[in-house]
Amino acid sequence: MSQSRDANPKKKTLVITRFDPDTDEVPKTQEYEIPVHADWKVLDAVNFIKDEVDATISHRWSCRMAVCGSCGMMVDGEPKLTCKTALSDYGDRVTIEPLANFPVVRDLVVELEGFMEKFQRVKPWVIRAKEEAGRPGGPRKSEKGTYVQSPAELAEFKQFSMCINCMLCYAACPVVANEPEFLGPAAIALGHRYNLDSRDQGQDERNQVFRGEGSVFSCSFANECSEVCPKGVDPAAAVNQAKFGAVIDWATSFVVPRGGAGSEGGE
Amino acid sequence: MAGPSHPHAMAPSRPGKTRTAPPQMPASWWSHPRIRTYLLFDATGIVYLLLGLVALRVVWAIGSGPDVWDATMASLKSPVYVAFHVLGLAAVIFVGVRFFRFFPKSQPPRIGPAKPPPQPVILALLYVAWIGLTLLFAAILAGGIF
Repeated sequence: MSQSRDANPKKKTLVITRFDPDTDEVPKTQEYEIPVHADWKVLDAVNFIKDEVDATISHRWSCRMAVCGSCGMMVDGEPKLTCKTALSDYGDRVTIEPLANFPVVRDLVVELEGFMEKFQRVKPWVIRAKEEAGRPGGPRKSEKGTYVQSPAELAEFKQFSMCINCMLCYAACPVVANEPEFLGPAAIALGHRYNLDSRDQGQDERNQVFRGEGSVFSCSFANECSEVCPKGVDPAAAVNQAKFGAVIDWATSFVVPRGGAGSEGGE
Repeated sequence: MAGPSHPHAMAPSRPGKTRTAPPQMPASWWSHPRIRTYLLFDATGIVYLLLGLVALRVVWAIGSGPDVWDATMASLKSPVYVAFHVLGLAAVIFVGVRFFRFFPKSQPPRIGPAKPPPQPVILALLYVAWIGLTLLFAAILAGGIF
């Protein structure tokens, strides 16, 4: 925490959502007027309140360098990673709320289990078929037994592998707000990332998930997920590429027999 | 927080041990310029619905004899209808430009062994096709072709 650098730190009022599941029926707000320093991020201000003003506030954070994805909150109504959001970009009165579209556990902490369930449905791991030897078109193996991947093959999915699961995209998505079954941007982006991986053979399985309950076709291409993504993943591109892949997969399923590759491996 | 999300948005399939507050959206969710643009995009559906009804009226007029047809054509020249068609044109251009802006990134990096052209090329092709088809239909409707 950076403190005591400014001789006369400016004051700002943070309006923070409070919710105690033991005593509150619905969330309420509480205001804190605090001295802020010019180089503070929003997370610094929340941490200051937690450390110096009111220790009962609950919020998540960890790395403070936009890698862990823990500190996502609504800042003046927009999903932000608070550790990389400058407090100086906001006025004298800043509203801090828990991520939209998520059940609230306490104060600024949201329930993650629903996201984890969606996450697992897209099988975010490399799926291999049982029969490896002599499989035509399969990935190449090095002498050490590891799968070889060229820089060009890596480049096809690398962007989508940069997701840090901060869930800002879920808080921004108008479809997530209205359709509880929708897989959502981050989960689809990760599933699509493995579908594009040259080592993977699980496209059939994932495309069935993409076409099933909460399918990729629920996306209305509002593009809000990509607008708020702090890592430039562009989940909207992944979701709409996944639509394309799911349609091609559905169409070719009538002429190309399925089964074998990926259908038994991986889990 | 003010506007409710779906009460089961992002809820786990089985409730946890701790009671949770229902998911919410920010009170100002509708006021962000990006969201307003998106809502405007959605609202153009109403314009298309009305355009469809006008088209149905014209089809009905075709089958109702020359007098009804002439009356319908005359009414379409009224300032109200002309203004409505200008609105329809604006809606089509707005949706087209928005769709074309997003469409190139929805192309997968490869379709089987084939790679789609670079995004700027896709965008250019879309606009060329749009302008070309518009000119073609305009020529047909003006009697220049057929």
